[in-house]
Amino acid sequence: MDGPILEVAGLRVDIPVDGSTLRPVRRVDLTVGRGETVAIVGESGCGKSLTALSIMGLLPRSARPSSDHVRLKGEDISKASPRRWRKLRGDRIAMIFQDPMTALDPCYRIGDQMVEILRQHRSISRSDAQARAVELLGKVGVPTPEERLSQFPHQLSGGLRQRVMIAMALLCEPELVIADEPTTALDVTIQAQILRLLRDIQRETGIGLVLITHDLGVVAGVADRIVVMYGGEVVETGTCDEVLGAPLHPYTEGLLRSIPVPGETRQGERLGFIPGVVPRQSGEQTSCGFLKRCPYAMAECAGGPVAIRDIAHGRGVRCLLPPDPGARDPGLWTRFETEEVAS
Amino acid sequence: MTSDALIMRGVTRDYPVGTAFGRKQTLRALRGIDLTVGKGRTLGLVGESGCGKSTLAKILLGVEQASSGEVLVEGRPISGYGRLERAGLIQPVFQDPYSSLNPRMTVETLIAAPLAVRGIGDSALRRRRAREMAALVGLPDHLVSSYPSQLSGGQRQRVAIARALIGEPRILICDEPTSALDVSVQSQILNLLHRLKSELDLTMILISHNLAVVHHLADEVAVMYLGQIVESGPSAEVFARPRHPYTEALLKAVLPPRAGVRLPELGLEAEFPSPLRPPSGCAFHPRCRVADGLCAERAPERDGTNHSFRCHHPLGGGDQAAAMTTPETA
Ligand SMILES: Nc1ncnc2c1ncn2[C@@H]1O[C@H](COP(=O)(O)OP(=O)(O)O)[C@@H](O)[C@H]1O
Ligand SMILES: Nc1ncnc2c1ncn2[C@@H]1O[C@H](COP(=O)(O)OP(=O)(O)O)[C@@H](O)[C@H]1O
Ligand SMILES: [Mg+2]
Ligand SMILES: [Mg+2]
Repeated sequence: MDGPILEVAGLRVDIPVDGSTLRPVRRVDLTVGRGETVAIVGESGCGKSLTALSIMGLLPRSARPSSDHVRLKGEDISKASPRRWRKLRGDRIAMIFQDPMTALDPCYRIGDQMVEILRQHRSISRSDAQARAVELLGKVGVPTPEERLSQFPHQLSGGLRQRVMIAMALLCEPELVIADEPTTALDVTIQAQILRLLRDIQRETGIGLVLITHDLGVVAGVADRIVVMYGGEVVETGTCDEVLGAPLHPYTEGLLRSIPVPGETRQGERLGFIPGVVPRQSGEQTSCGFLKRCPYAMAECAGGPVAIRDIAHGRGVRCLLPPDPGARDPGLWTRFETEEVAS
Repeated sequence: MTSDALIMRGVTRDYPVGTAFGRKQTLRALRGIDLTVGKGRTLGLVGESGCGKSTLAKILLGVEQASSGEVLVEGRPISGYGRLERAGLIQPVFQDPYSSLNPRMTVETLIAAPLAVRGIGDSALRRRRAREMAALVGLPDHLVSSYPSQLSGGQRQRVAIARALIGEPRILICDEPTSALDVSVQSQILNLLHRLKSELDLTMILISHNLAVVHHLADEVAVMYLGQIVESGPSAEVFARPRHPYTEALLKAVLPPRAGVRLPELGLEAEFPSPLRPPSGCAFHPRCRVADGLCAERAPERDGTNHSFRCHHPLGGGDQAAAMTTPETA
């Protein structure tokens, strides 16, 4: 059966700090199908990494997650035991981090680390495991893979380390890979290679890929579907073409108006921006989370938290405005008189 | 030639480095830089990390010295300026405003610091100037008595810019000024820099790994590769018709946030080389899609005048350069 690989509903993460409770992830729903790339996009602090970590069962100790369900191929993994997690992680679901040293142990040779992962999940001989490691290193474009097995992570360049981590994530042929800012620390030339690599592997193996990034250009290059997050909530979903071509949520629109695009924006022309800053996410919501920064805000927006409105299958927006970007004046984003908002 | 704010001629910079086996080696971070920036112009400097951009900036700021070559600031050798005199003329803005701002000083004190260091005015005058600068860079008045930790990233970068500008320098060196910021804030800082450069007639060097940022602000652009400038010229010209294959690859690597954009095939398979062991001939040849035997043998001289490049097989300047003007669509 070709049901979704990942289904997340009503995900929420609370973190108690100094007597109050942070609510960095409030309402996240997410579905990833076989062979599909879903991008989670949003600016820093909107809860992308915590969303990823809670799906992976890797949240910091202090965090308190809750959800309606988090299903991997139908199995609810949100309440999996640590023992079950040791079987799932690395085998059926794997993660790629921005900083490869999060996943690589500096004190162990690359070969040993890869063999250990395989032997943890498969009954496979050492030499077969090594052969598999070499095969995967070759596949992700690491030159002279045999020689790398005996190297330590610090002996490799940043781009190569990233490839090694990708190879490690793919060792056991997982069904789902979550990549959190996998190319953010890399040069643009290396970024393009790594993104192509992820895309090719994904097409070949049919894995579901969740790609987390703050870079809308990266999203445009690789995503099938986009989930836009703001202040711990999903504020817009749709296909890549829908969200980038006709953004419905004012936050998405504001982001797209902020980015200079050679050949489109004129040199030195005034760029759009989003006034104000992301508010601290504590307490329950009493209005639309974007209210104070939104140039289109109406009286109703202050009435209470806003529900996701389903526009079409897979297309949703958390906004009370009519879902018609053509009826708005996007020039608005460049005409704010100040970058501050009243608090 | 006093119309040029900055001139570098044949500038090199060597760093002594130890190797794993304890041998001393020399890392040549800059390998002969020729550069001219006219007064009031903005030069964008691009290239992969490790190519020498920050080293070049540090030499212009006087915090590092060139190992050889000539550096002229407003027509005079940089070594001829005293520290304070130089600081009055050239100021930096760095990527991470947090680490460059003393957390125990208020915004007002931070902005006024360059005046205090140079003993300009009394404290009342310095405070007044600091408030004027805060207003100029769009910091609201109520923030001047805050501490850096109470500010957002964008506000901290405004403080850094205000502090750089308070002594009325003529040259601003911005090293990745927006790289730590979210895009909705980056655009505010780009708007600000654009306004300031014309209002104050600043000469600016803008270092960024983001070509869209450079395209947005720079009049001229210089592309660096392994310690050399491999292509330079008027920004519009270089972006529309790159002559060096490396420039072309960098331009193609820009992913505009638009529906239907495809991942580019850059054909840059090999990795950025180590400056300790620069490749023979043209340093780019191991990664170049058009390189041949000549490229491995002989380093190309600089060619062209206004729009110049170092390449044995420059691109024709025809349609292969369309990457920046018409985003590739699927
Ligand atoms: N361990 C933690 N304790 C307290 N707050 C945290 C912790 N981890 C993350 N946060 C906060 O939660 C919010 C969301 O963080 P994160 O998911 O890392 O955002 P993103 O990945 O989108 O940048 C941020 O405001 C961050 O400061
Ligand atoms: N103080 C130093 N000692 C030794 N090597 C250095 C030093 N500063 C920079 N380098 C080397 O010089 C080269 C250029 O560095 P840098 O100018 O920082 O590049 P960029 O700013 O383009 O990333 C790099 O290989 C870097 O490792
Ligand atoms: Mg994150
Ligand atoms: Mg640098």
